[in-house]
Amino acid sequence: MSETTSESAASTAHKGGHGAPAPAHGGHDAHGGHGGHGGPHLAHHFDTYQQQFDAGKLGIWLFLLTEVLFFSGLFCAYTVYRGMHPEVFVYAHYFLNTSMGAINTCVLLISSLTAAWAVRNAQLAQRKLLVLNILITIACACTFMVVKFFEYEHKFHDGLLPGPAFHPTEQVWELESFKHKHPEAAEYAEKLTKAAEAKEHAKGAAAPAAGAAAEPAAIERPTEEQLEPLIKAGVIGPNAEDQTRPSKPRNAHVFFGIYFFMTGLHGIHVLGGIGVFIWLLLRANKGEFGPKYFGPIDYAALYWHLVDLIWIYLFPLLYLIH
Amino acid sequence: MQGSSEEQPPEPREDATRPNPKLEPTEQDEPEEAARREAPLAADAHSGHDDHGLAHTMPVWMLVGVLGALMGLTILTVSVTSFDLGSEGNLVVAMVIATIKAALVVTFFMHLFWDKKFHLILFLTAVLFVILFLSMSITDRGEYQHNIDLYQSTTSAAAK
Repeated sequence: MSETTSESAASTAHKGGHGAPAPAHGGHDAHGGHGGHGGPHLAHHFDTYQQQFDAGKLGIWLFLLTEVLFFSGLFCAYTVYRGMHPEVFVYAHYFLNTSMGAINTCVLLISSLTAAWAVRNAQLAQRKLLVLNILITIACACTFMVVKFFEYEHKFHDGLLPGPAFHPTEQVWELESFKHKHPEAAEYAEKLTKAAEAKEHAKGAAAPAAGAAAEPAAIERPTEEQLEPLIKAGVIGPNAEDQTRPSKPRNAHVFFGIYFFMTGLHGIHVLGGIGVFIWLLLRANKGEFGPKYFGPIDYAALYWHLVDLIWIYLFPLLYLIH
Repeated sequence: MQGSSEEQPPEPREDATRPNPKLEPTEQDEPEEAARREAPLAADAHSGHDDHGLAHTMPVWMLVGVLGALMGLTILTVSVTSFDLGSEGNLVVAMVIATIKAALVVTFFMHLFWDKKFHLILFLTAVLFVILFLSMSITDRGEYQHNIDLYQSTTSAAAK
């Protein structure tokens, strides 16, 4: 049934609409004749399908502009904070799972392809391919959210939360991602911590910080080059007197505030996209879309590409800090 | 381009990428050309003659090609992090790659190359305002740092 519907839609289009905005084939009556359409899809306040499509397209572009500006607030927070405190970002990026971020990037790119392909399918009245492409888009979006869920769960578990909830269960130099890149620095930070702890034990709870300064001399100091990762991550200070007791940089929790807000807002957009595509899937399955009426697919795809676009920037900014 | 479809020999592939000179939907030749290329999608052939006339249709090979480029750039941006390119070098490289990827998405997936130029202007306006917003914030970012340092040094001294 639906196949014949799209065939008839296609043939109508072929007969009628060459090039310029075609009159709507006598509008409602002509289309009603084909039956099974669930209506002609030309809203009564538009004269032609072209006018209807262009109005919708302008609308979605204006919406996308507000989205770009909406996200720019968070990008601004990121930029200012990274400009002021680069060490916090270097520190925090060791806690993020790059491969999970990369997988999510690929998943989102694939869903962008299928969304763009779905627009083509709608334009050419390829109902089955359209349904398939929308399904793949939804599946990819769900995969993205599942990966995101595991990332969030891991961060909740490790106490990597914004604000006062920030209580990391591991020090940065204890992480595999840090040890793998900077083994000497990790080892040195480990030794320093042990020495500082021993010192505090020996002197009682109220150990003055100045007393610890003598101890690190016993530990062989690595080269400046090997020490650099620790300084860049804000674990020890650039000056010798700040290099006795490695710790996390001040206000490291702000990174996770930015991280959760940026990825969370993006995730909400992905969830919204899933909802829209489920709605479109049902409509596409009924064969509602064709050469004259594919606007909703096109607009949803544009929105989806913008969500992809934002992730394209979020991924290197959050996961690929050097 | 209009009305020149039926008898024309198949055009070279590059032609499909050229901008629509009239900003008007003219898609007579492209879909059938694409249908000819896609042997597995022979079912398309019947609709290949469509003249939907509302907007540009992306050929499948171009969509897949753009995805390939995006994937390649993703791999590049991940692998380039293992090289040290100076304090700001890595960030600049990552942002350049991200911007190339964004341009690919906007140009091809979002059809802006064939779309009305007004939509391009709208989009670029948003980008311009984002750049203004960020750059002004950056120039201002250190303005109160000495107050913060003062506050932090007094509070940490008080803690001791």
